[in-house]
Amino acid sequence: MWHALRAELVYFRPWLLGGLGIAAGVGALLMGIIWFVPDADGTPGFLPEMFLIIAGMVVSFIAQSYRWEERRARLLLAGPLTPRQLAGVTVLLPACLVGLAALAALVKFGLFALVTGQLELANLGFIGAFTGEFLGYAQMGPLAQEATAARRQGRGRAAVLGWTVFVGAVLVLGATMVFRNAIQGYLGQLMVVVTAMAVTVWLYEGRTDFTR
Amino acid sequence: MNGHQPRTTAAARLSGLTKRWPGFHLGPLDLTLEPGTVLALVGPNGAGKTTTLNCMAGLIVPDEGGTEVFGAAVHPDRPDYRRDVGYVGEENGFFQRWTAGRNLDFMAELLPGWSQDRARRLVERFALPLGKPVNKLSRGNRTKLALVAALAHGPRLLLLDEPTAGLDPVVRAEVLDVLWEITEDGEHAVLYSTHVLSDINRIADELAFLRDGQLVLRTGREELSERWRRVSFRLQEEDVELEGVVEHRRVRAEHQVITRDAAATLQRLTELGAEAVEVSRMSVDEIAVQILKEGHHVARAES
Repeated sequence: MWHALRAELVYFRPWLLGGLGIAAGVGALLMGIIWFVPDADGTPGFLPEMFLIIAGMVVSFIAQSYRWEERRARLLLAGPLTPRQLAGVTVLLPACLVGLAALAALVKFGLFALVTGQLELANLGFIGAFTGEFLGYAQMGPLAQEATAARRQGRGRAAVLGWTVFVGAVLVLGATMVFRNAIQGYLGQLMVVVTAMAVTVWLYEGRTDFTR
Repeated sequence: MNGHQPRTTAAARLSGLTKRWPGFHLGPLDLTLEPGTVLALVGPNGAGKTTTLNCMAGLIVPDEGGTEVFGAAVHPDRPDYRRDVGYVGEENGFFQRWTAGRNLDFMAELLPGWSQDRARRLVERFALPLGKPVNKLSRGNRTKLALVAALAHGPRLLLLDEPTAGLDPVVRAEVLDVLWEITEDGEHAVLYSTHVLSDINRIADELAFLRDGQLVLRTGREELSERWRRVSFRLQEEDVELEGVVEHRRVRAEHQVITRDAAATLQRLTELGAEAVEVSRMSVDEIAVQILKEGHHVARAES
C-alpha cells in the first residue's frame, strides 16, 4: 500500500507544486497590496497560509478525479493489494496532499517571522484550524465517490449511510467555524476526518466493481 | 513461472458464475480452461465478454458462483490468485502522464515475481517506446505496454479483452505470435475475447460463443472446420429439405447452402440426384459469423 501511495504522491507532485506556487503568488500579491498601498490597513494575517492549504485541498480533488478517470484501481488490483489497502491509498492521498500543503504554510509562517521579526502566534492557531477544516473537506470527495458507487452497485443502505455521513460531516465542519482556534473546533474536525475516512474505507471494501 | 500447483489443475474454472446488471444478466456460466489452451470468447457487443473477464480477474464480484484460477479462488480480498493472472483490458489504469518505462518500473515493484529480463525481452520484441508518456502512445503501443505489464511477472493464465482491436495488421500479427508462443509449453492458458474473427484462425484452439449473457456453444476449432461446408449444386426441386443446412440461397435451379453437417447434406443431395455439386471449406471466422448470425438454434444444434 505504501508503495502505491508513494507513487501517487510522486505522480501528483507537479500539481501540488503548481498549486502551491499559484497560492504563494496570490499570497505575495496580497501582502504587497497591504504593505505598499498607502491607504491599505492591517496585515495579511493568516490569509497567505490559508491559500496554501486550500491549494492542497484543490489538488486532492484533482488527484481524485484523475485516479478515477485513469482507472487506477485496475492497475493496483494487478498486484497483491486488498480492497482495504486500495481504500487506504484513496483516503490517505488527500490527507497527505493537504498535510504537505499545511507544512508549506508552516514554512511560510516561519520564514515570515524570520524575515520580519514578527511572530504572530495567533496565526499558528489559524493554520491548525484551517488544516483541520480542509483535511475534512478533502475527505468529502472520496466519501461522495464511494457513496455514489454504492448506489450504482445496488447497495442502497450503504449509499444512504455514506450520504448521511457526508451531510453530517459538512454540517459539523461548518459548525467548527464558530469554534475555530478552540478545542471544540479541533475535536469536531478530527471527528469528521476520522469518521469520513473510516466510512469511505468501509464503503470501498463493500464494492462489487473495481474496474475504476 | 509458478510451480506450486500440480499440472492437472484447471487453469481457470467458472462455476455457475452469475452477474446481474440493470437490463443485463450474465450466466450462470460454467466453463473450464485447461493449461495449454487458447480459448476465444466470441460474441457480439453486449454479450457479456468483458464482464466475464472482469469477474475472472477479480475486478467484478459475481452475484452467484465463482471462479478459480489454478485452484485458487478468485476474490478481491484474497489476492493470492493474482500471481497467476495477467490481464489486458481496454483500459489498464496506467499513470497516463508517466512514461511507459516509469509505469513498468512501478509495476516491477508492485508485482511479486516480476522478471526484468522477461520485461526487457518483451519491450525489445514489441519495440515499445519506453520514453513516451502513456497518454502520447498510440493505441497499439498502449496494448503492447499492457501486454508487457501483464506478462513480465510470469502469470500462467492470461486474460485478454479485445487485445487486437484497433491494431494495425503488423502489430496484430506480432501480438498473436507472442500469445501463441506463450501457450507452447503446455502450462499456460489464454482466454481472450474478440470480435476480430480473423484472429480465431490464427491462434484459438477452442471457441466459446457468448450471446445475451449465456454461453451458447463451446467447441474445438478443428471440430468446427471439419463439419461446416459451403455447398453449391443444381437441382430443379423448389422445396428441398436438407439436413444440417443453416443458410440456403437459390436462383432458379442453382442452389448454394451452408451446412453444419457436410456429410449428411451431401448424402441427401446424392439421394435427390443433385448435379454439379461443389463443396468448399469455410474458414473458422466465416463459421463463427454464421453461428453468431443464426443465433441460439444453430448453437443448440451444434451442442
